[in-house]
Amino acid sequence: MSRAAPWRAVAPQAIAWREWDDELVVYDDATGNTHHLAPLGGKVLIALLTHPSGIELPALLQVVADAAGIPDARLLAPNVEEALTEMAGLELAACDPA
Amino acid sequence: MIVGDLSPVDIRQRLEGPGLRITLGPLVAEIWSTSRLVQSAVEAVYAGHPISDSGEFADFHVAVRSTGGIRRWLKPLVEFGFDGAPPVQPLPAGQAFPLLEWGLNWCVASHCHQYLMIHAAVVERAGRALVLPAPPGSGKSTLCAALVARGWRLLSDEMTLIDVDRGDVIPLPRPISLKNRSIDIIGRFWPDAIMSAVVHDTIKGSIAHVRPPLASVDRSTERAVPGWIVLPRYKPDVATKLEPLSKGAAFMQVLANAFNYSMHGRRGFEVLADFVDASESFEFSYGGDLEAAIDAFDTLARPL
Repeated sequence: MSRAAPWRAVAPQAIAWREWDDELVVYDDATGNTHHLAPLGGKVLIALLTHPSGIELPALLQVVADAAGIPDARLLAPNVEEALTEMAGLELAACDPA
Repeated sequence: MIVGDLSPVDIRQRLEGPGLRITLGPLVAEIWSTSRLVQSAVEAVYAGHPISDSGEFADFHVAVRSTGGIRRWLKPLVEFGFDGAPPVQPLPAGQAFPLLEWGLNWCVASHCHQYLMIHAAVVERAGRALVLPAPPGSGKSTLCAALVARGWRLLSDEMTLIDVDRGDVIPLPRPISLKNRSIDIIGRFWPDAIMSAVVHDTIKGSIAHVRPPLASVDRSTERAVPGWIVLPRYKPDVATKLEPLSKGAAFMQVLANAFNYSMHGRRGFEVLADFVDASESFEFSYGGDLEAAIDAFDTLARPL
């Protein structure tokens, strides 16, 4: 995973989602799969969907930290990277080469 | 005219002749059978259902018939026929009525894709649907029968049909299927219940079917809006407990019990999400105390 490469949603137009409290349930029309994302994963995916051309990890961390109300975005780095890796496995997110 | 208006001889003649056309909520099934077990069970548990004329459209043409051959004199079998072709394996002749019911379930689950179909019991009070999605063994049919015994309206004990345009629940009131210990439990809890004869040694154990109340069948055209989604969990000796369940978890549980969610694609997601959005969702643990269970559900439905 390159820290400098931007992350993006694989197929933003194919994604439908519903957010209840901190939970996100996502339908991916590209794969036909439905996913129930943990609170942090949900915020990461929404951040990617609102940046369809891609967002680099430091900026993504800041967006997610702001959404989660966490002052120090760096604290979230391991969890966000884990969420990104999981979403890459689900074909929801991809890291474009720099 | 309803099935109960016909004499036993009339029922037999229709079943053995042109077929008996029974209206099941939005569907019509034409049933043909020479099995006396089917005839007596239909008389017992479909008595309140409307019948339609042979000239009218029927969604399904089904038959429960002997497989014939030399085996009929040794260990007779019956098979379920749908538009002439048997979709399931033959079963012993004594299981003719459960075979009809399972066959009708198959017909609905395999063909009614105009609806979003959930494997769930569903009852109604004050216009709101209480959906009980659960795998076998969770006690949903027992709970469903107990709720119906205490005045909740039966929409279905097996399949929740959601209108994908309107998002409400379409009634499909058919006999409630009870298994094993539930037969005696409901027999004691609902002494007035009219049941078919118990059929033993089926693939699901002992089976009996309960006639739906006339009030439920009469209101088959009255839909219900989303009300509650409750996931029942039966465990012996567990205290009765109703606990809130997050909507995300409720969505995934309902999805796990959906027959045809993927066929509807994005529309299915939106319809189901709207349904969950409009419902309150809970987990329900109980150890068999049906009175306490009914109290819990009645409290849910009581106006604030």
